[in-house]
Amino acid sequence: MRRLLALWGKEWLALSRDVLGLAVLFLMPAAFIVVMSLALSEVFKGGAARQAEFAVMAADPKLADRLARKLSGDGFRSAPAPADEAAARDGVRRGTPSLVLVVPRDFERALNAPLDGKSTQPQLTLLADPALPPTQLLAFRQRVLGVALALRVSAMMRRAGIAADADAFDLKRAAALSVETIGSSARPSSVQQNVPAWLIFGMFFVVIPISSLFVVERREGTLARLVSLRVPFSMLLLGKVGPYFVVNLAQAALMLLAGRTLVPWFGGETLALPARWDLLAAVTACTSLAAIGWGLLVAVCSRTLEQATVIGGVGNILAAAVGGIMVPRFVMPEAMQKLSEVSPMAWALDGFHAVILRGGGAADLAAPCVKLVALALALFAAALWVHHRRRVLTSAQ
Amino acid sequence: MGTLNLEGVSFRYPGRDETVLDQVTLAVPAGGIFGLLGPNGAGKTTLISILAGQLRGATGSIRAGDEPLEALRRRRPHGLGLVPQDYAFYPMLTCAENLRFFGAVQGLGGARLKDRIAAAARFARIESALARRAGRLSGGLKRRLNLAIGLLAEPEILLLDEPTVGVDPQSRAFLLESIRSLAGAGRTIVYTSHYMEEVEAICDQVAIIDHGRVLVSGALSEVIRDGSGLQELFMQLTHRSLRD
Repeated sequence: MRRLLALWGKEWLALSRDVLGLAVLFLMPAAFIVVMSLALSEVFKGGAARQAEFAVMAADPKLADRLARKLSGDGFRSAPAPADEAAARDGVRRGTPSLVLVVPRDFERALNAPLDGKSTQPQLTLLADPALPPTQLLAFRQRVLGVALALRVSAMMRRAGIAADADAFDLKRAAALSVETIGSSARPSSVQQNVPAWLIFGMFFVVIPISSLFVVERREGTLARLVSLRVPFSMLLLGKVGPYFVVNLAQAALMLLAGRTLVPWFGGETLALPARWDLLAAVTACTSLAAIGWGLLVAVCSRTLEQATVIGGVGNILAAAVGGIMVPRFVMPEAMQKLSEVSPMAWALDGFHAVILRGGGAADLAAPCVKLVALALALFAAALWVHHRRRVLTSAQ
Repeated sequence: MGTLNLEGVSFRYPGRDETVLDQVTLAVPAGGIFGLLGPNGAGKTTLISILAGQLRGATGSIRAGDEPLEALRRRRPHGLGLVPQDYAFYPMLTCAENLRFFGAVQGLGGARLKDRIAAAARFARIESALARRAGRLSGGLKRRLNLAIGLLAEPEILLLDEPTVGVDPQSRAFLLESIRSLAGAGRTIVYTSHYMEEVEAICDQVAIIDHGRVLVSGALSEVIRDGSGLQELFMQLTHRSLRD
């Protein structure tokens, strides 16, 4: 145990004097958390929460005002009508406004046509900005059709001698519909996605200091000296686990703190912390073991600092891109979502989301945690195997 | 501990065809300094690495006294010390931290570790540099720290692989005196060097190897019996062609 403590102490001292390495481990994920949480906040709110401007162009200004009033709300804001259709098309091409509803002259007369599917329907044209999210375009389209239906039904009832105003057929008055999401939210918010995502990314970056120091140890002959002192190679590897496990835990604490303080300070949403801290600690620990295992394998396989940096860095970036760290998995096409299941970062993110987002229990964490620990053991065994295969520990010739 | 006996030791790096050590047979008497000489690539460092337990897979027999060297290593893990050619310590740690770490991994602790650090630092005259980062030391101080680390566990057999490379004449003189005093205290020392005058000054026994084979070995006085000097004998045996 004394030898293991000495190895941990040495690793800790070496790491504490590597300012660049510490900056990569702590400042990089913190910066990503703040920047990405703010940059993607609108995207994560979805189409309904994003304000889109629309205008109504009609020959009758009163009808245009009436339609604009009915269509406003729920993320759609009315803008002044363009002078003519050419100006409307030009405006939409530039995205201001995003939508223009063109109402023909005979629209009000066409409202009186029977709802039998045989008569000529009132014709409306919607000019749309191609950059508008499809879900938002669909929502506005449904909104327009809902208003048109209300106008036609009220016209039909008036013809039948029943006093009715189109406002009476507002869809919101049809029933009181409450939406209940299971867990704290069905989908992560920007901060709920980005804090665990970039925390995981940062945790896996222990690969750089682990492998860099290991390469230096091998190059300087320190590793060979330790082997000659009969320190087992497995203990040399274990000597790196303890300090970096503590580093990973510290990263987790600080990144959660960043989600609670830094992100709201810059104007973003505050991260809601989970009730089960023990489960959060469990998923953090499992992620840490997988990250350290990866670092050890890269360390043993790399012969130079350049190799360690490239293999470790590129490997992390690929795993992050595939695993839903850089791009949330729910926006990926199905094939990519399936591919993301091979990334350990995706397993870790599943675990964090189970705790932070869905308020899950131990059973929800079991699958990602088992996968991460199994990977850690496999990577550790692979590092020992690679070392055993090479056998040659020194540059002796 | 007795004589260190090597008989028919051969070694080849995995995946390579050429034999680095070929039937090396040597007797290193206890309590003296044995000079191991050879040009670059002769196999000196490989032989030292095998003796230090860094390389496995050598064939032949290596015995320390009556028992195999490996058995001695198991029985007394730190009975054999190595001062490698590289500065095999942590440049980002101070000298004291390096000594503490290498002492602790050899099982030293508490007051004993403190005493051994003080003694090794005193012996290598690095007391004034204990608080300095090892990476910022001069070449001479680095060599002395390297030696101090090798002496922490008081090994009975000490392997010194080119311990004076890159130091000034003052540091070299100090290191040679120190090494001689270590042998005087009863240790067996295997010393490799390219500096013939060093070997002539401190070694009792020598061996010259090249291409993994022992060309000559024995007491220094017998090897250079004709009075021509070690340098001339070395050049005669290993020829003048460049090796790297």
